[in-house]
Amino acid sequence: MKFRLNKTVAAVTSGALLLIAVPLAGFATTSSAAAKPTYVIGYEGPLSGGNEQLGLNMIFAVQLAINNANATGKLPFKLKLAQYDDQGSGTLSPAQAQAAVANKKLVAIVGPAFSGATKAAEPYYSAAHVATVSPSATAAALAFGTKNNFMRVVAGDDVQGAADATFLVTTKGLKSLIVINDGSFYGAGLAAVVAKSATADGATVTPYTYPETGSCGGTASVSQYTAAATQIVADKAAGIFYGGYYCDFGLLLGALSSAGYTGTIMSGDGSWSTALITGTSPASAANNVYLSEAGGGNANLTGKLASEYKALSHFSANNATYAAQSYDATNMIIAALSDIMRPKSLTALRGDLVTELHKLTFHGVTGVIKFQGNGDLTRSSVVDFGQVQSGTINSIGHS
Amino acid sequence: MGAFGHYLTSHFATLRLEFWGLLVGGLATGFIYGMVAIGYTLVYGVLRLINFAHSEIFMCGGFASYFVMKAIVGTSVPSGFASIGLITLGVVAGAAGGAIAATALERVAYRPLRRRNAPKLAYLISAIGASYFMYNLAGKEFGRYNIAMPQLYLNHPVFSIFGAPVELYYLVILIAGLIMLIGLDRLVATTKLGRSIRAVAQDAETASLMGVNIDRTIALTFILGGALGGAAGFLFGLGSGVVYTMGFTPALKAFTAAVLGGIGNLRGAVLGGLLLGLAESFSVAFVQAAYIDVVAFGILVLVLLVRPTGILGERLGRSA
Repeated sequence: MKFRLNKTVAAVTSGALLLIAVPLAGFATTSSAAAKPTYVIGYEGPLSGGNEQLGLNMIFAVQLAINNANATGKLPFKLKLAQYDDQGSGTLSPAQAQAAVANKKLVAIVGPAFSGATKAAEPYYSAAHVATVSPSATAAALAFGTKNNFMRVVAGDDVQGAADATFLVTTKGLKSLIVINDGSFYGAGLAAVVAKSATADGATVTPYTYPETGSCGGTASVSQYTAAATQIVADKAAGIFYGGYYCDFGLLLGALSSAGYTGTIMSGDGSWSTALITGTSPASAANNVYLSEAGGGNANLTGKLASEYKALSHFSANNATYAAQSYDATNMIIAALSDIMRPKSLTALRGDLVTELHKLTFHGVTGVIKFQGNGDLTRSSVVDFGQVQSGTINSIGHS
Repeated sequence: MGAFGHYLTSHFATLRLEFWGLLVGGLATGFIYGMVAIGYTLVYGVLRLINFAHSEIFMCGGFASYFVMKAIVGTSVPSGFASIGLITLGVVAGAAGGAIAATALERVAYRPLRRRNAPKLAYLISAIGASYFMYNLAGKEFGRYNIAMPQLYLNHPVFSIFGAPVELYYLVILIAGLIMLIGLDRLVATTKLGRSIRAVAQDAETASLMGVNIDRTIALTFILGGALGGAAGFLFGLGSGVVYTMGFTPALKAFTAAVLGGIGNLRGAVLGGLLLGLAESFSVAFVQAAYIDVVAFGILVLVLLVRPTGILGERLGRSA
């Protein structure tokens, strides 16, 4: 009986202690959270679909920047990453933007990654005063106004397109060009700049549009490239510029190879990805293709950052297009947030962050970043050039 | 000459220069559409339903052949008889992948509904559900990006027609497609299995009373259509690689081809596929690639307005 009584007393005592301990533990957690609030930095870009590799390149760099910032322990807040997968599509991005602005802890977005998706999502971010710092949306038309909540750490396509045209016409001496676009906001914009600049440089330009295909997130038939290649070969142009993304570019390269095209081929930053090589049938069709990237400065993460990036992503930082820019965009948001950090409502915090980002001069791994009022970089960016050689993309210089 | 006259003159000049190249490319595309369209038309014949998951059978064939080729082909590009052997093996692997997927589809998505005399709408929803399941599973397992097929031959012009080079890739599609389509036509027209398929298509109940095993015939019909669709997936993948969404657009076009030629009509499906392939090919040069589907579906509407049952008409239960 005594034993049983002791057992009952022990059970009741334990229960009482537990009842006291749980609220205490909760209180402790709440106190800690109140001392150091948690904010969310979102990433919007293609994390699935035909062009997901570009999004994966970026999100691991964003995660790395957040991990490193949290690890210092010096920030007056904790950071978390939220991912918004728009598949690079302007159709899907508004829903992702609405989900992002509805997140009560989200302060800013790294992205959106693709220009068309950015154009469709921006009204929602702008209305909610959410700063969007894109590592890769390069369409010239996205930069406007005097206090644009959209900013980018890469040059616009007006810079990239002009440099690409000069590379083809002046450096390579090509006097007849076919300029193709994929019908996307980004591809059509870049191709238009290339066509205009190449014409000004003295080349004859023939423009074609081949819309994005069902294999790459669009709706057009892949078979269009069979006929397109026949058409292109018959045109006998010395060079081709493709404004679009790597997935469809790879399909076009395969068709051009089948049709026996032997001229010079170039594309922009949307195609600068190792996935271009793994997705092209046959892979040899991508050999000797020229690529450009409007990043400027150090295009890749290097040294310790490259090792950390590889540990996180399980792929190399070399040719992880826009990883370095994503790392910088995230760190710039963190720096701006640290500058303005004091108790305030989320709405005020978001708005102040836009203002602070416009004021800030940030020294990142890709160089010095400062924004103009329209969201473009103040510095005249360098455009990097690469070439596919034996299955890898090698840097061959810059503009 | 007005602007429209100038437009026509310049585009006809373009066409004259590129005609033979566009013809060969269009025929190659058309054969792929035709092979996939056969799957739609065969299943429609025996079950009177459109198998909307056929796009995923095409995709399964592409991936099956990719994995077999990846396991066999090394880093060097094969040539000669090795290439011929690998292409044949790729066709067989694609056909096997398509046939297995089609069998699974018939067993899981259709047969239980048939046993319960479910309404046609239930089949449709089941097919759409199966399609979503299969392509999402493929995307999750194989990645959501385009993967190049290992190189089985060095592509080069084999001969030329009036100055237009005919590449080896197109020749592979034309030869493989022709052999398979003629083989299927003969199989359905002359063998016991073909008679069973035609009997079930004509009147399943009477065919059953005459001793035809309905379940077996339907299963074999799925296997035949799946094999052709899977082989087409391999031929498509040879040029464009494989990806989980690879079946959507070609299968939609193939379904269009089947309706264009006359649903339920095997030769109609092939004719529809070839016409659609050629229409697409020439519309790229004559109009614009952006209008390719406008042209293709415009032709479909026009043909159906004149011949509601398609070019060759429905020939359910007949030999062709």
